Amino acid sequence: MIDQPLKLREQIALGLVGLTLFLGLWTLLSVSGLVSRQFLPAPSEVIARFVQLLTTPFAGATLPQHLASSLQRYLFGMLLAAFVGIPLGLLMGWFRLLDDIVSPIFEGLRFIAPIAWVPFAALWFGTGIGGPVMIIFAGAFPPCLINAYRGARFVDPHLIEASQMLGTGHLRTIVEVLLPAAVPSIVAGLRVAAGLGWQSLVGAELIVAAAGVGFMMVQAQANVSTPTVMAGMIAIGIAGMLIDVLLRHGEALIRRRRGLEA
Amino acid sequence: MGSIRFDKVNKMFGATSAGVKVLDDINLEIADKEFVAIVGPSGCGKTTCLRIVAGFEQPTSGSVNVNAMPVRGPGPDRAVVFQHFALFPWKTVRQNIDLGLRNKNLMKEQRDALIADALHLMNLDSHADAFPHQLSGGMQQRVAIARAYVLDPEVLLMDEPFGALDAQTRVVMQEELVRLARVNPRTVLFITHSVEEAVYLADRVAVMTRRPGRIKEMIDVKTVRNAENWNQFQRIEDVMDQESFIHLRTHIWKSLREEKPENQR
Amino acid sequence: MSGRRATIGWATLAALVTLWFALTTWTGMVSTGRFPSPADFWFSLVQIVTRGYAGGQLFTHALHSLVLVAVGFVVAIATGVPLGLWMGWSRRAEATINPVFLIIRPIPPLAWIPLAILWLGLGDAAKVMVIWFAAFVPSVINSFSGVRAIERPIIEAARMLGTPRWRFVIEILAPAAAPMIFTGLRLSLQAAWTTLVAAELVGALVGLGLVLNMAQQDIYPGMVLVGMLAVGALGFVTTWLLGRVERRTLAWNTAAARAA
Repeated sequence: MIDQPLKLREQIALGLVGLTLFLGLWTLLSVSGLVSRQFLPAPSEVIARFVQLLTTPFAGATLPQHLASSLQRYLFGMLLAAFVGIPLGLLMGWFRLLDDIVSPIFEGLRFIAPIAWVPFAALWFGTGIGGPVMIIFAGAFPPCLINAYRGARFVDPHLIEASQMLGTGHLRTIVEVLLPAAVPSIVAGLRVAAGLGWQSLVGAELIVAAAGVGFMMVQAQANVSTPTVMAGMIAIGIAGMLIDVLLRHGEALIRRRRGLEA
Repeated sequence: MGSIRFDKVNKMFGATSAGVKVLDDINLEIADKEFVAIVGPSGCGKTTCLRIVAGFEQPTSGSVNVNAMPVRGPGPDRAVVFQHFALFPWKTVRQNIDLGLRNKNLMKEQRDALIADALHLMNLDSHADAFPHQLSGGMQQRVAIARAYVLDPEVLLMDEPFGALDAQTRVVMQEELVRLARVNPRTVLFITHSVEEAVYLADRVAVMTRRPGRIKEMIDVKTVRNAENWNQFQRIEDVMDQESFIHLRTHIWKSLREEKPENQR
Repeated sequence: MSGRRATIGWATLAALVTLWFALTTWTGMVSTGRFPSPADFWFSLVQIVTRGYAGGQLFTHALHSLVLVAVGFVVAIATGVPLGLWMGWSRRAEATINPVFLIIRPIPPLAWIPLAILWLGLGDAAKVMVIWFAAFVPSVINSFSGVRAIERPIIEAARMLGTPRWRFVIEILAPAAAPMIFTGLRLSLQAAWTTLVAAELVGALVGLGLVLNMAQQDIYPGMVLVGMLAVGALGFVTTWLLGRVERRTLAWNTAAARAA
């Protein structure tokens, strides 16, 4: 019942059919006026607007400038999440007591969607960079922590025993045994964190920013400039996809070096 | 009835230019209710032969007929017993056996009766409502065999069915299969790595060459079994003690050994 | 939870609460304009539960948010799981739908909020739309993966037994993919809550997000904390419920995993 894999030719053909149907339907709905042009601009309009925004500023900056602004915050937030989450996760994986103390707190806080931190972020940082960075941290921190923790906790016990037999102290064990062993898990966690962080960034910028792609989109919505909103969505989508592709390749590279993949 | 015929069967995996030829001109006739085992080195294509009869693969050229009719896809007339059981973990033993019967649109009373018989036949009566994970490997394979048998198939296809079991369980299952084959004979195509298993169970043993697989020779075991009356023995170790058994086994062993690459002989 | 772990957990909780008191009420190191003291928190909680805040009582806001999440979530899985299953077993469906899916997928659900507001206004419809979209994607992906992860012998055994298509989908495909389907459901639920809160923060007339938004604008940290904890509590309860359903449905799997 599960079909055989298709030949490449057939895959491409069907893919084009799907795309054409999608774009065709969209264009038809928009151009025919079935849906008001104002709310559903034709794909061509959106592309045109996208290109236009590359050089023409909107809401204070061009699209690339907004994107750069967003990426800057994103990077800060991600680095913070990684540099706090990964070491903490490793330590928790090694020191049971630390695990017992932190885990309940973490589990409790986990149910509060990262985005719910926005009001506090706004109270504490206004529209400064601190706000979005904090939200990104809230989103990206859990996967970094959890994956580092799991990577350390579930290291092959034989490796630990070998290192104990060799008389290795705590710090060196963590750095030279746990960390390398946990790298595949950590990298997988970073991929998830990157996605969640990107989503948190977008959410934060919709609410508490004075620059960035999310901010641009909110302004566009207020001005009922639908092509701009859609152009912003495309930009966000492309950026998010590139980040994921980059990390996926990085992950594959690391896994290959470890012999986890052919 | 349940005869199988391989006619000039070739099988190639992958694109024609860069493909791997797995089977090379296989010609084999298996009579109704005959038990044939295929042995051969890893990768020789013996499992592929079974999968073609089962209908999971198509030959690249040549044909396979069951009952003088070409094979067109899988079905309960050629029941398969898989190496790793392939039981449905979310169904109980009873439900696993029942599925094939429901697909045949049999009435409930009939199905229940057939299932009860099958459970009894395979000594599973007390486990009817257990889930597969609660059973040992040997019991799971009994369920798989029961599931196949209950369909009253013309052909039984067994793909290294005892390969995933520990050595002791394996021996018990081999004895069970012999008992079953005597009580309820049907055409069997049995794939195995184990020469002893093949000689113990089969009427004829096909020895395959290494890839691309060809049938190197057919060994007639039935004549020897009848002549030496192996059936008088209940236990497998007594049969394996017979000189005639050892002779056949060694012969096949040597034949297989020639199939290893030069440096490993 | 082991006895030791529970004890440490409670001890940590007690320590944190003490710290909370210390930093806010006793020493005033953290100004109450930034983070509420326990008294502030309690005061806000009482207010919203009895007199109400931002146009309603806590129950009204919470219920409204919960209903939106529930509706969005249910519609999302009712559409997403079948689609994922279909794309999983039909290579043709996968090839046709995948490109469109790949284009839409990288757009974070929250990025749909401005568009949803443009199309449907500030009311519930826009929120449900975005929630639906956010919860839809993980369900599709995980159902798809669930089908692809089915071991080949299981499918071959079902075919060998002559199983007709409809029975195959219901009795073989869905149960076999069920573990991954539930992973998708958990992710969908998470996504639904995140999106709901975000959507309500951007613009709403009622709901927990509105409470958070108003509290922030009023510089009312106590109420912000109430809102956050309410969101967390509802998230916890719904996740727990889903977990119960999962354990029931996958009883055969969890037991097998434990036995393994």
